[in-house]
Amino acid sequence: MKKLAMFALVGAFFAMQGGFAWAAGTPDTGPGCGLGKIAWQNYPHAKTKGAQVMIALTNGTGLNTLAISFGTSGCTDDGKWWAEQKAVMFAELNSDALAQEMAQGRGEHLASLATLLGVPRQEHTTFFAIAQERYAGLTNASDLSAVAMVRALNEAISADPVLAKVALNK
Amino acid sequence: MSVTGLPPCSGSPFLPLHDAVIHILLAIVAFVSIPSQSLAEPIAQEYQEELIQQARRSRLADEREWHLLLHYRANLLGGVTSEEDDEGFFLSPRGKHDPQAELNATIERFFSTDRVGRSQQPAQCAFIARYHWLKERLRFDSSRLAPVTCDRFDRWRAELNPQGVSLIFPAAFLNNPASMFGHTFLRIDQKGQTEETRILAYTIDYAADVPPDAGLEYAYKGIFGGYKGFFSAPPYYLKVKAYRDIENRDMWEYQLNLTVSQIDRLLMHAWEMENAYFEYFFFKENCSYHILSLLEYANPDLHLMDQFHLWTIPAETVRAIVAYPGMAGVTTYRPSRSTLIKRKRALLTTHERKLSKQIMSNPEITGETSFRALPLQRRALVLDVVSEYLRYKGESDDPEVKVYKERNRQVLIERSRLLVPSEKVEILPFTKQPDVGHRTSRATVGGGWRNDDTFEEVSLRAVYHDLLDPEEGYTPDAQIEMLGLAVRHYNRADQTRVERATLVNILSFSPMDDLFRAPSWKVNLGMQTIRRHGCQLCSNGVAGVGIGAALESHLFEREVYFAFAEAEANYSKAYDERHRIGGGGTMGMLVDVTDRWKLMVSGSYLRYPLGDKSDDIRWYAGSRYTLAQNWAVRLDYNHRDRDDDVAFSVQAFF
Repeated sequence: MKKLAMFALVGAFFAMQGGFAWAAGTPDTGPGCGLGKIAWQNYPHAKTKGAQVMIALTNGTGLNTLAISFGTSGCTDDGKWWAEQKAVMFAELNSDALAQEMAQGRGEHLASLATLLGVPRQEHTTFFAIAQERYAGLTNASDLSAVAMVRALNEAISADPVLAKVALNK
Repeated sequence: MSVTGLPPCSGSPFLPLHDAVIHILLAIVAFVSIPSQSLAEPIAQEYQEELIQQARRSRLADEREWHLLLHYRANLLGGVTSEEDDEGFFLSPRGKHDPQAELNATIERFFSTDRVGRSQQPAQCAFIARYHWLKERLRFDSSRLAPVTCDRFDRWRAELNPQGVSLIFPAAFLNNPASMFGHTFLRIDQKGQTEETRILAYTIDYAADVPPDAGLEYAYKGIFGGYKGFFSAPPYYLKVKAYRDIENRDMWEYQLNLTVSQIDRLLMHAWEMENAYFEYFFFKENCSYHILSLLEYANPDLHLMDQFHLWTIPAETVRAIVAYPGMAGVTTYRPSRSTLIKRKRALLTTHERKLSKQIMSNPEITGETSFRALPLQRRALVLDVVSEYLRYKGESDDPEVKVYKERNRQVLIERSRLLVPSEKVEILPFTKQPDVGHRTSRATVGGGWRNDDTFEEVSLRAVYHDLLDPEEGYTPDAQIEMLGLAVRHYNRADQTRVERATLVNILSFSPMDDLFRAPSWKVNLGMQTIRRHGCQLCSNGVAGVGIGAALESHLFEREVYFAFAEAEANYSKAYDERHRIGGGGTMGMLVDVTDRWKLMVSGSYLRYPLGDKSDDIRWYAGSRYTLAQNWAVRLDYNHRDRDDDVAFSVQAFF
């Protein structure tokens, strides 16, 4: 169900990107000096979801950010709901980097996720330590979705006496 | 906060459509309920006329800012033409060529809330930079020209949360032809952003939209036009992922000193670009060129685009921007994953390196006493190197990707159990930032001997860098030369001739070690002068390709050794049957003796079994000394068959 929610979220975003169409087979644009096809051709996992998302974004023919896309679709402007979506989207698109940084107990992706989850900067170290501690348990789950990861981290924040008090978005 | 159940707006991808219908219905209701517009019309008409006359008297249509907003460039007929190609970008049908007509039409449309342009917003919002500029210049009376609320823009701006702007340069990457000169885009730095959270900022990027399966057409259209280029605003973390993690390119971030109002102007003009596309040209009207246009509108005192006529090399635009006094602030380096691995691995002892290598192929080693005996922080460092490498392999085109990913998972679980954070390590780049590099065009003046004659030589090279050019600011061990021409006058023969010509000459060395094993390669298409069958100075067309390997050492500053297997075809009237085709090999080395002094020696043997059956032995020795950022001297010795050629020259980059 969570997986479905993520797909729907990503799908809804694509639907609003205007010119985007799900690329059948090898996708065709990406980085480069504005001409990235060859890079993507050589990228073997071009069909995976993460790559599709990136291609969609690098291929985006508009200046829309997610906020606009959701805003104009009549979605709520509720800041809390929006903050959650941003955290989940970020976790989904950076799952490899986040896994690595959680295990290492620091890093910019982890710090950014902490910020999206409302952990103030001075408490990042505490958050890093908790993430590292919980890492093994998290990845042993057979299928760690971004939604599950964000939920687990949120639970960890709530369970921590210090973080529970200071986190803004809980 | 906790994520439970479905987010309210994403239960189904089809929901937004449903919402859109409601929106349209609401819009219709709102439209119907507006008090009859026809009543207000005569007054509006009057004010409209007044503003147009006022603009005409102030000659606003001739001003630089109006021309920047509409992307007008002088054309050959003495008029102007906009580089913009989407008709929806112009509010007058004559807008592409007629600044005055466009300005009049723009003022007219500001009185209406009808949706215009591809972004389908009222004119005041779709062309918000034009609106604010004209509002300021003509002092719009808001009681006679009602301002429209631009919700979408306001929400966008709020989401960007701008505080500053950085120019980002992912370095050149030779193994992807589209990336071989690098790339530039802007990052809109957010309020409250820290060094660790700057990946959350949004970027403004310009890129070509390439349809699926374009094949060879891709190269042709990319260079000669045919693709549309668009602006987009992806978050920086996606760009970092693409450039640093997947393409393994170092990145440079230049903070730009823009005022608050300049940032606003930049964002407003960027917003207008949602209605725009430009025909894309890889060499000139590319990513970097159009990024310059945003900066110029932000600060019209900048004259950047005028500096680029035939081609726009991304690194050159970085130099042009940085050269503007007070423009560039702090410069930050963001290492590619391979740089990260190399630098971190250098911190390991021989024993630790050996262990890391073993763990890479078998994570179980982490349970053995040889590993457990290491101090806690050293174990963490070893595992961090291993994990970086396994991620690198996990994103490569290796068929064993799944295996690497699984090993990485095991290593990371082991790493998390150490319960210590990784120590922060400063990663230094292998080359300096691009703005200290030499300019990309080169002029050379020199003289020397060839066999029993003397000569003077002048040569020009359009772009970009060869292996002996000063390497600061350039991707190491990579050469791209395009469009070069050398003319010589031989004194005894009393002959002036084209000595060499280069269409394209690319060399990419990738020094191998026990972890990185990419091949080196080269491609060459050009012409040079040979002696053959009694023809003393004969033109010889050359097409060659080679594949090989390179290694490096650090006996002096740095040495690179290379060996290639190669194939070559020659065309010259000096040959029997006018051609010869064959193959052979080249070996050589590059030596950085000091920061300024570099040497290269190489030897080749080629055998041509087809056409004019023959063989060739070549030697080359070259030496470059850097005088200044854009000045160098060279001494080159070339031996080819029975020709000996020595040249001394002075080179200027411009």
